[in-house]
Amino acid sequence: MKIVPGTGSPVHPDISALIPWYVNGRIGERERRRVDAHLAQCAHCRDELTREQWVYRSMTAETAVEYMPAVSLNRLQARLDGIETGEAADAAAAAKPRRLSMPWQGLMAASVAVIAVALSFLAGDRWLQNRARAAAPPDYHTVTISEPRAPGEAIRAVFSPTITLSELQSILDEAQLRIVSGPTEAGVYSLAAKSRRPVSSSLALLRSHAQVRFAESTTSAPIGPLATP
Amino acid sequence: MGKDLASSCRSTVLAKNSAKERDTELLVAVAAGSRRALEELYLGYHRRLARFLSRITPRYENVEEIINDTFMIVWQSAKDFRYASQVSTWIIGIAYRTALKSLRRQKNHSAARSLDDLPEQTIDPTGDTEVQDWLKHGLNQLPMEQRLTLELAYHMGHSLEEIAAITECPVGTVKARMFHAREKLRMYLPTLGGTGSEWTARGG
Repeated sequence: MKIVPGTGSPVHPDISALIPWYVNGRIGERERRRVDAHLAQCAHCRDELTREQWVYRSMTAETAVEYMPAVSLNRLQARLDGIETGEAADAAAAAKPRRLSMPWQGLMAASVAVIAVALSFLAGDRWLQNRARAAAPPDYHTVTISEPRAPGEAIRAVFSPTITLSELQSILDEAQLRIVSGPTEAGVYSLAAKSRRPVSSSLALLRSHAQVRFAESTTSAPIGPLATP
Repeated sequence: MGKDLASSCRSTVLAKNSAKERDTELLVAVAAGSRRALEELYLGYHRRLARFLSRITPRYENVEEIINDTFMIVWQSAKDFRYASQVSTWIIGIAYRTALKSLRRQKNHSAARSLDDLPEQTIDPTGDTEVQDWLKHGLNQLPMEQRLTLELAYHMGHSLEEIAAITECPVGTVKARMFHAREKLRMYLPTLGGTGSEWTARGG
């Protein structure tokens, strides 16, 4: 923004105020023509326009970090489920005192509750028998083999929870990698190569960063020791 | 050539109108309680909102939290929306206010960095990366409303009137925020105050 020396004000404030929307292409046709006509004769405002165009280009530059909405959406769905369950429970609780207002209804409810408890004991016993017969499902999941591979995926990695987006982007740029999916519920990102750099080299670079908790190739056998936090 | 441009413009306008209509249909369905419509709306806006929010909040957890809080409000308030503005303006307005609240909470938890933290004139004015870093620092120094106004205009590509609707402010307030944001950026980026030719050479 060109400033009049000593005043702190733009040389042509009316035109200056229009420049942001001239730059982002969202200016009205009449105003655009006005700015065009002014720029043709004002070097100060042309300088200002050039600077503003640079800021605009810098702010619209693409980033390597892509968000995968699936996990976030699952969390939102879980929140909505929780609200709906809560609302249903509230509605049931609100309706309950009215239904139990007569003594015989209370007795009937007590009988139903006794039957329900007896049935739950029976069902629980049956469930325990079945459970003993069935193999217990693992209460863990792996980050290297259980998930299907994302297209182009070469590496799976877990980053420190304290990593910032700019740190993440900087690491990915340095290792010439891009995110193709993730993070999963376990915080695992699938990464693909952005260049011809060997996967082993990118992997070594990832492992050298303190912010990388885990990094493993998914295209071949493990290479070297795992990174430590 | 001229015909191609006109045809391309017409296609863009048609695509935008079609997207607006689809947004409206989806919001009507959301208001009627359709979780599937909410999901489609969420997936349609996630990328745009995530990119916008990631520029003003550094952690993915915050980005996700703001987006999900936004769509919780969309879910709960869709039936009250009167369609006086575009659905996209309404949703981005909710995200804007949610982000502002979140940023204010974060600011209370962490000391704001001051301009004094910046290295003094260690920048190589010919190095584009360093200049980008200065811009990033400069943007981080702006008051939140000014930063968000600049982001809405430059990163999201909104018009003055759309920003006024999103931020629920008079047009004059948006103009003033934009003016102050640009003026402060100019002061934060002293080495960038060169001539137009330098900028052209640097920025292309």
